[in-house]
Amino acid sequence: MSTRPPTLRVKRRYLLIRIEPAGTIIDQKDLHYAISDAVTSLWGDAVAAVIMSAVVASEGQYMIIRCQRGAEQDLSIALSTITKCCEIPIALRLVAASGTINTLREKIRRVKIPESESISPRECTFDKKLFQINACNGQKIDVIEKGFKNTNRLFLTREDLEEL
Amino acid sequence: MKITDACVYPYPRGDSSVRRMALDAKALGFDRLVAADTPSGEFYGIEIVTGTLIRDTPIRDLINQIKRQRNNAAVVSVQAGDNGYNRSAISVKGVHILRGLHSADKNAFDHITAKIAADNRVAIDLDLSPLLFGRGFTRQRALLRYRDILVLERRYEFPLTLSSYARSILDMRAVREITGLCSLFGMDTPDVEMAFSGVDIITSLPDSAVRVI
Repeated sequence: MSTRPPTLRVKRRYLLIRIEPAGTIIDQKDLHYAISDAVTSLWGDAVAAVIMSAVVASEGQYMIIRCQRGAEQDLSIALSTITKCCEIPIALRLVAASGTINTLREKIRRVKIPESESISPRECTFDKKLFQINACNGQKIDVIEKGFKNTNRLFLTREDLEEL
Repeated sequence: MKITDACVYPYPRGDSSVRRMALDAKALGFDRLVAADTPSGEFYGIEIVTGTLIRDTPIRDLINQIKRQRNNAAVVSVQAGDNGYNRSAISVKGVHILRGLHSADKNAFDHITAKIAADNRVAIDLDLSPLLFGRGFTRQRALLRYRDILVLERRYEFPLTLSSYARSILDMRAVREITGLCSLFGMDTPDVEMAFSGVDIITSLPDSAVRVI
């Protein structure tokens, strides 16, 4: 099948999203299914077919999602209803929208911050419990309680730890 | 007018400290958070207001509890019940917000309750968590209720508030995302801005009946 001339091609838009919490590794395919599920659940099959969402690229914490031009708003509303992917709690933060992937890649390079700063010690106490520091970015510190039970992630700041 | 999330649950009820929630709220475009059972303060430029939620309490006990709250500047919310309970609850002086109407009885909020809410300047809360976490019937019912509340709000002009009920920073949404979610039940941008500043309306002193010119 030959490529269509530019005037007959479907116009597309690309959304740059950041996955939170930091350090969460999500497979592109799993995220695609999560987005597809959210779009279908919110808008139904008919609108989902118009939106034509697809995950086209990923760079660390960032992912680029494709949709049809004019459907960005519908897609971004559906993205905000995603709370889990493969039973991992996540949040998708919309960073930018563009007509080309290249612009978004440049944007990633511009805004990219160090994945996780080194912090010493790697253990800390909070609320009289021992935690292991999982991710650290500026003021933000994510910790996981040490032990076999209750290994939930807590989201704190440096000040929370300094206060103790 | 400050952009306010009218209910969040920081640690120990949730998994994020109030400071972290404030830090993320700033990035998401908020100016103020009403944090349940958390002392008031200001972190990273975000004002934290204490929120108190009273639920499953008979009216007599509700009045006593509110009397105890009167000295501290907390935003007092009451969980909605049946229609009679709601009418009584919003008539009590000191109640700021009526919450949970999406899960209350179908007739829990009618035109008379709306009129009382407008007269007493009690806000009706729109909980965004069923839109974020709910799927299918749960979300449809919430959308239907909110649409109905908006019809009454346009007629009687009682204040509205928007709450994420976030127990984690992952449950918090940006102002723009909330505007998008509110468009699902017919709220346009000025309506959303008004609802974001609903806490300002209910916590400010009412205009006096007599004005000296």
